[in-house]
Amino acid sequence: MPDIAFTKPTLPRSGALVLPCFEEEDLPSLAQALDKQAGGIVNRAAQASAFKGRKGQSVLLWAPVPSLTRVILVGLGKREAFRPEEAGGSLIPHVRMEREATVATEAISGAEVAEMALGAMLRNWRFDRYRTTEKPEDKPKLAKLFFATAEASAAKSAFPALRAVADGVFLARELVAEPANILTPAVLADRCRELERLGVQVEVLGPKEMRKLNFGALLGVAQGSANEARMVVMRWNGSGRRKPEKPLCFIGKGVTFDTGGISIKPAAGMEDMKWDMAGAGAVIGLMAALAGRKAKADVVGLVGLVENMPSATAQRPGDVVTTASGQTVEVINTDAEGRLVLADVIHYAIERFDPQFVVDLATLTGAIIIALGHEHAGLFANDDGLAARIEAAGRATGELCWRMPMGEAYDKQLKSEIADMKNVGGRPGSSISAAHFIARFVQGKPWAHLDIAGTAWSSKDTATVPKGATAFGVRLLDRLVAEHHEG
Amino acid sequence: MIRLRRAPSEGAHRLLPDLELPRGETRGEAGLTRIGAAGTESPRDFEALGARAVAAAPVEARHLALDTRGFPAGAARSLAMGAAIRVHRFSLKSAPGHRKLEVVTDAPRSLGWERAEATLAGMAFARDCIAEPANRLSPEGFTQRLQALEKEGLSVRVLDAARLKSLGAGGLLAVGGGAVEPPRLVEIRWKGSLDAPPVAFAGKGLCFDTGGISIKPAAGMEAMRADMAGAAACAGAMLSLARRRSPCPAVALLAIAENTTGARSYRPGDVLRMASGLTVEVLDTDAEGRLVLADALHLAARRHRPRALIDLATLTGSVIVALGHVRAGLFGNDAALATAIAAAGESVGERVWPLPIGERHREDLRSDIADLRQCAPAGSGAWGGRLLPDACHAAAFLREFAGSLPWAHLDIAGVDTAEDDEGLAARGQPTGFGVRLLDALVERHFEDPHRV
Repeated sequence: MPDIAFTKPTLPRSGALVLPCFEEEDLPSLAQALDKQAGGIVNRAAQASAFKGRKGQSVLLWAPVPSLTRVILVGLGKREAFRPEEAGGSLIPHVRMEREATVATEAISGAEVAEMALGAMLRNWRFDRYRTTEKPEDKPKLAKLFFATAEASAAKSAFPALRAVADGVFLARELVAEPANILTPAVLADRCRELERLGVQVEVLGPKEMRKLNFGALLGVAQGSANEARMVVMRWNGSGRRKPEKPLCFIGKGVTFDTGGISIKPAAGMEDMKWDMAGAGAVIGLMAALAGRKAKADVVGLVGLVENMPSATAQRPGDVVTTASGQTVEVINTDAEGRLVLADVIHYAIERFDPQFVVDLATLTGAIIIALGHEHAGLFANDDGLAARIEAAGRATGELCWRMPMGEAYDKQLKSEIADMKNVGGRPGSSISAAHFIARFVQGKPWAHLDIAGTAWSSKDTATVPKGATAFGVRLLDRLVAEHHEG
Repeated sequence: MIRLRRAPSEGAHRLLPDLELPRGETRGEAGLTRIGAAGTESPRDFEALGARAVAAAPVEARHLALDTRGFPAGAARSLAMGAAIRVHRFSLKSAPGHRKLEVVTDAPRSLGWERAEATLAGMAFARDCIAEPANRLSPEGFTQRLQALEKEGLSVRVLDAARLKSLGAGGLLAVGGGAVEPPRLVEIRWKGSLDAPPVAFAGKGLCFDTGGISIKPAAGMEAMRADMAGAAACAGAMLSLARRRSPCPAVALLAIAENTTGARSYRPGDVLRMASGLTVEVLDTDAEGRLVLADALHLAARRHRPRALIDLATLTGSVIVALGHVRAGLFGNDAALATAIAAAGESVGERVWPLPIGERHREDLRSDIADLRQCAPAGSGAWGGRLLPDACHAAAFLREFAGSLPWAHLDIAGVDTAEDDEGLAARGQPTGFGVRLLDALVERHFEDPHRV
């Protein structure tokens, strides 16, 4: 990650200079200052290229003065529609190959400049661990990113909290991007332990402990794999209260690889199943973000970590498993495993922590992609207030959610002839029946479920999210906590 | 026609909702079936109870008397409504014939039955059309049934293929081009009495959908005789408005065609010029509904400048994956209209759920050769290409043709036919979904002379 600094609005002595311009407004004052040195080149270039500051417009000038490698005019669009994060993110492609760049943000408030810096960081992230032969000249180089602003101190004081959230996002993205031969349940649990240095209390439970807790559903999924299951409990007590109140509870599905098990998936696209732990990744990233910015809230995060493999010991369609809650499940399809994992973890979390609410995140169903596509996560809830707060936090952070219906007609799709329920309810409305499966384990607690199968991974770049792992949920839930549960 | 009586006719089998009996239970006695009604409260529950009463009667009982005596008028009406919907059954079996239903009530006049009958007539019309197999209800046969609505005071105009050509309706013409009977657009108008622009409905009326060159798998293809359920629902709603002399002017444009394989069928890769002038690249001839609707929407907007434009279509399998057989998918460009539709649907038990049209959905329709393509290519979805939000794509496509009018689109693919016996219609029977909703929507939102 580049170092970010907020500096006085003077012309930089080296590197690249980015001049973001609002539509129908004057060029930033640094552009005028540069023009004085360079004989009006910026204004001439703007005119010659019909640059109006529209969103998506840009003009590149190579080395207009000896000290600068390049100057880029970037259109921000109209000021009333200004989204600082997006603007910050969209600068990155212009400066990625520079070591050092300065962004002229004199006409933007300090708080917004900090958000631009966040957007820039979010976009600049890249998972590089396994590129060993890429030539150095082809690698992105950005090491220092300066924002020249008259309100540097305001930006500086707003930035550390944003930076902590970005770090949570990066942790989640990295975990999601890691392939499944590297990131097994045990390795992922070890990565959770690293949160201890941020002040998070971390407990890791293995198969033996989970057997004692009667985690029949989770262990049923795990039994086909050579890689043992884990459950991780992460606690952040940030309220400062001696005796913490009922905590907020976030739960993530962490299937480190999902072959589908005996109900094996088609080969095409199966590589995507390394990110079937994106719900867990988001919860881990969220805990890092909250602890990193010392959120004043008591929060528990739990992740159920398993690998779903077909093998001689794998569970079969038709098996009946007993969940920690005592309810029995007929496993019709071993590829509907996420809900089995969540069932036990959610039950445990509610029994142990009696939380204010439970929000679970899971790459749960392909059907949610058929329903909504990739712009919205599916939002299911038994509590309208909680759902509305999540939707609002989603709009504020660009992690959009779409409320989906629930109801008895969907719930009854889970009826089994032999057990309390089946683990699938048929193709029609299958994201909804999946949500109902989970709902049977929440004991009436306020609960929301985010089906992030369509939003956890992106096939194209957006302004602040490079293609690949999105860490969907980290920022949304961080915002939910910040807006409603601190102070 | 359902007869209202103060006492059951002789020989009729009595259906008696019994508040002492737990819900879900029935008890048969000589000439009488008691239906558990304990705890029944909402109109929806009473309708379900009425339907259950009919279902619970012995098969050999051909004359049923639903006994609503003792129930308040509202509950009695709902009971009767549910029973009337359930008893209506389309069948081409030689025997036995239809069951007769009478409603026994203390106060026939306070039942408000005339209003209910207007809705029932519209539903019956739509449900019969939907149930008819495609060899009996071809584009021409469907048109004739619609023309027969003139005797109800509706004006019916048929825009034939030649007229469609002059209107440039390339979508409808292409989709229907492979069939022996040419496509057409049927325009049904109800004058109303308000001095206001009409409310417009557009319906997908594919009398049969083989998929065309992108032919469907054989299994389940017979259900495609119901692929005109959207058009039928619009026509049924028009009939309801006419029967109850609604003050609201309304117009329905029904895009009627048969999508079949033939020497003149349109092909994947074809580029069509639509009535609006936009060009469309065809990727899948089985995504034909959006093409015929696009022309219907555009022509509805252009010819009638309506206050609101609502289309109904059995459009995508994707909406069934999304919402199952419980709710229709609701899309649109106008929050107020969407809210009104959702509320109207809720009030009559035809439930919808809003679904999004996102920027990405529109982007996915970018074409290299035309203004837009009709759907995203097969295999371009997530997880190996299989997962595409086709209902959202279809809605994003339609939006391009609705112009700037308040517009809503109901994807009714999952709710046009009853999947089980627990709803008002018997399993396998068309539900007529949309008739009640549109009828209620007009009544609740478009009949107030002060809100024109």
